[in-house]
Amino acid sequence: MNGKGLTRNETVLAVLFVIALIVAGVGWTQTGQRVTETVTNTVTTTVGGAAQTVTTTQVLTSTVTVERPIAPGTVKIAVVSDIGGRGDLSFNDMAFKGGDEAERDFGVEMVELISKTEADYVPNLETAAKDPNVKLIVGVGFLLSEALLEVAQKYPDKNFAGIDTFTQFLAVQNLGKPLPNMIDIVYEEHKGSAMVGALGCLVAAYYNEKGGNYPYIGGVFGIEIPVLWKFEIGYKWGCDWGLKWYEQRFGKRAPIIGEDGRYGSGEGWQNGLYCPTAGQCWYKGRVLWTYTGTFSDITKGYAAAKPMYEQGAIAVYNIAGPLGLGINQAVQEIASERRLTSGPPFWIGVDANQDWINPGFIIASMMKRVDRGVYYATLLTVIGKFRDVAAESNGVLTLGIGTRVGRLSMEGISVSTLGDLDEFIQMGVEAERLTGKQVLPMPPEQIRQKVTEMRASLPSWIWDALTELESKIRGGQVEVPMVLTKDAVDQWRALLG
Amino acid sequence: MVQLPPLTSGKAGKLFSRVAESLLAVAVGLLGGAILMLLYGYDVPTAYRALFLGAFGDLSGFLETLAFATPLIMTGLTFGVALRSGLFNVGAEGQMYMGAIGAVIIGGRLSLPPILHVILATIFAMVLGALWSLPAALLKISRGVHEVVSTIMLNWVSFWLVTYLITYQLADPARAERAVPAQETARYIVIGSSLTTVFPVVIAVALAIYFILWRTTIGYELRIVGYNQDAARYAGISIPRSFIISFIIGGVMAGLAGASQVIGRPPHWTVFATMGNLINLGFEGIGVSLIGRNHPIGIIFASIFYGGLLHGGRFMEFEAGVASELVRAINGIIIIALAVPGALEIVRRILRRRETVHGT
Repeated sequence: MNGKGLTRNETVLAVLFVIALIVAGVGWTQTGQRVTETVTNTVTTTVGGAAQTVTTTQVLTSTVTVERPIAPGTVKIAVVSDIGGRGDLSFNDMAFKGGDEAERDFGVEMVELISKTEADYVPNLETAAKDPNVKLIVGVGFLLSEALLEVAQKYPDKNFAGIDTFTQFLAVQNLGKPLPNMIDIVYEEHKGSAMVGALGCLVAAYYNEKGGNYPYIGGVFGIEIPVLWKFEIGYKWGCDWGLKWYEQRFGKRAPIIGEDGRYGSGEGWQNGLYCPTAGQCWYKGRVLWTYTGTFSDITKGYAAAKPMYEQGAIAVYNIAGPLGLGINQAVQEIASERRLTSGPPFWIGVDANQDWINPGFIIASMMKRVDRGVYYATLLTVIGKFRDVAAESNGVLTLGIGTRVGRLSMEGISVSTLGDLDEFIQMGVEAERLTGKQVLPMPPEQIRQKVTEMRASLPSWIWDALTELESKIRGGQVEVPMVLTKDAVDQWRALLG
Repeated sequence: MVQLPPLTSGKAGKLFSRVAESLLAVAVGLLGGAILMLLYGYDVPTAYRALFLGAFGDLSGFLETLAFATPLIMTGLTFGVALRSGLFNVGAEGQMYMGAIGAVIIGGRLSLPPILHVILATIFAMVLGALWSLPAALLKISRGVHEVVSTIMLNWVSFWLVTYLITYQLADPARAERAVPAQETARYIVIGSSLTTVFPVVIAVALAIYFILWRTTIGYELRIVGYNQDAARYAGISIPRSFIISFIIGGVMAGLAGASQVIGRPPHWTVFATMGNLINLGFEGIGVSLIGRNHPIGIIFASIFYGGLLHGGRFMEFEAGVASELVRAINGIIIIALAVPGALEIVRRILRRRETVHGT
């Protein structure tokens, strides 16, 4: 052991050590362990439904690896995801799904870039923009707004789109006008949330009719950012609309959730309703809600949902992407305790169709068609209309219920239907075929059957109400409040709880 | 200019064999990564070409690599300087968070004239980093608490304290998910890509550390304490004083690393509530230090290489279609392989110390 570098024996030992490490690492990877946070969190639970979910996450992550030959001159689109990338069964997965569909329909090639930290946003966007074949760069998630602003300016000949971003707001603030090559694709989440809010409270009313005791619905939110205010107030407003609809339809208030006195008393309160001004009454306080402060820590989803179910929430709305898996855990616990094969208790999915994750225990999902956003952005690029639409809309495209752009229908929000379920089941089947690993928690027919049964078990008046609300929203006869400022949020919270 | 060690055959030979060791390690690491890629059916030459050309092949890529390397130079030195004085300071992570929040406070909340703002924010960050290193230092010299235990615990205290501050006290009112961004007057000037003028500052500090450690009495004493505490004590060197200085130097540099990510990194110029743009930079500094043999110049090069891996990975994804997680696994293999020689050195040192204490 002198100080002159490695002796021969040490060299041999070092090389053997490293090879052993590599073999260990390879062996570890082969057993299907993945490093995404989503998986680690779900693995720690041993409840049936959640364990299945683990496999799903793994598989969706592996479908990335297929390499396609690049023909010279092929139009490419780049999708830059936020931290976490694939496997969230929600936002990011939807974006890549949209890219896959664009590939299929328009013959483009999608390239993915997954951001590991915030420091990767700008480099990822730039890497994509520099490629001469890439014509459209999509940034997925509001956190990429600044990065998109910077890179879109540097590459004025490329099209940029952002999902849930507010880049044009920043552009107007910093540069005085919106960018011509950028479209912020945003959604009317408040409308979809209103629909599932109505759904949740009507389901509570129905089960209370049958003797149950469900005085609340719940909502588990992520980080308190302005986008989520739209969800929050829309959801609460929807519950109020649903209970008012019940009153009108049946000539009496909904049992417990509509008439109980527990929600408040004192100034403004009249028989369980909050009436701050004469003739204007609100079903205040029916929604239990909390902001967990995270879009990735699944355990917080569980920790937030459990007390809600304990207090009698019949359904909890997931507005935090992967945290739905935590909410599902809470539901599964109750289900195993009471040996249930379907809800109540329920939860409500978001962004992607999450009904299949635990069939029978999810009433519906508020689908934010992030996939359609990526798809339409690609469509506009391919037909050469991207800049026109950007100019006409001041760079912000809002997709919602009944949206039309020119002659194209570009819907962006919907409550999941059985048809949507089929689409997502197909995706799962495809993934299983490609990788040979189990994705779906049970065979497709069983999933369809359980979900159909659960929906059929709810009386038709619930679905009538939902249809009525949707057509009224579409036709403009009702206006779901869209809150963007703190003042507006505070105002509505004062009315609805 | 940096003075090279005198070219006696002994020292030059040592340097040469060290470089040869590192090259061997690089080769082994790349081989390991290649095996992993082959197993999943990727085109290895395309992937590696994309990695290196992307990270080092053109100017904007290289500047981006340097931007990723900047904080690592500092956190690497935190560990490296401590090791030189016989300590295992793994507290760069926590000290860095404190530095970052210090930069946020001065840079985001105060209004000051341009150059003064930057200087003050930087200094405040370094001071907070140093202050956070003190508890571990004091525990070590007064109670002999092993610094690995204390600094790791303090890392967590720092993490939650800083998360609390960002979420509740320093949140951007319009954007709850992050702290108030540094004002324009507090920002370093952008050179290109994500690199700012904080980089030359960091290089200057690293060179200053080299100067301190090898050209001043204090540095000499620190290194003696690292080689042999007993001999140092008999020579009249105050061990506690050396430890405190070592910790403080480490804290100052970690604090600067934190500041570099706030007032020295576009486009956000802030810390997110999840601390995503800070997490792990402290621990990665340990790897960097091992690769750079705990020497400031080596650490600079190791940081640039590491930064190249961090930045170049996306090109492997983009051009060869390698899955994001696999890129990280490959990076990990390369870094482990590179860290082996440095780790061996530490093992040797510990064994040598045992020999001198127990040996005949």
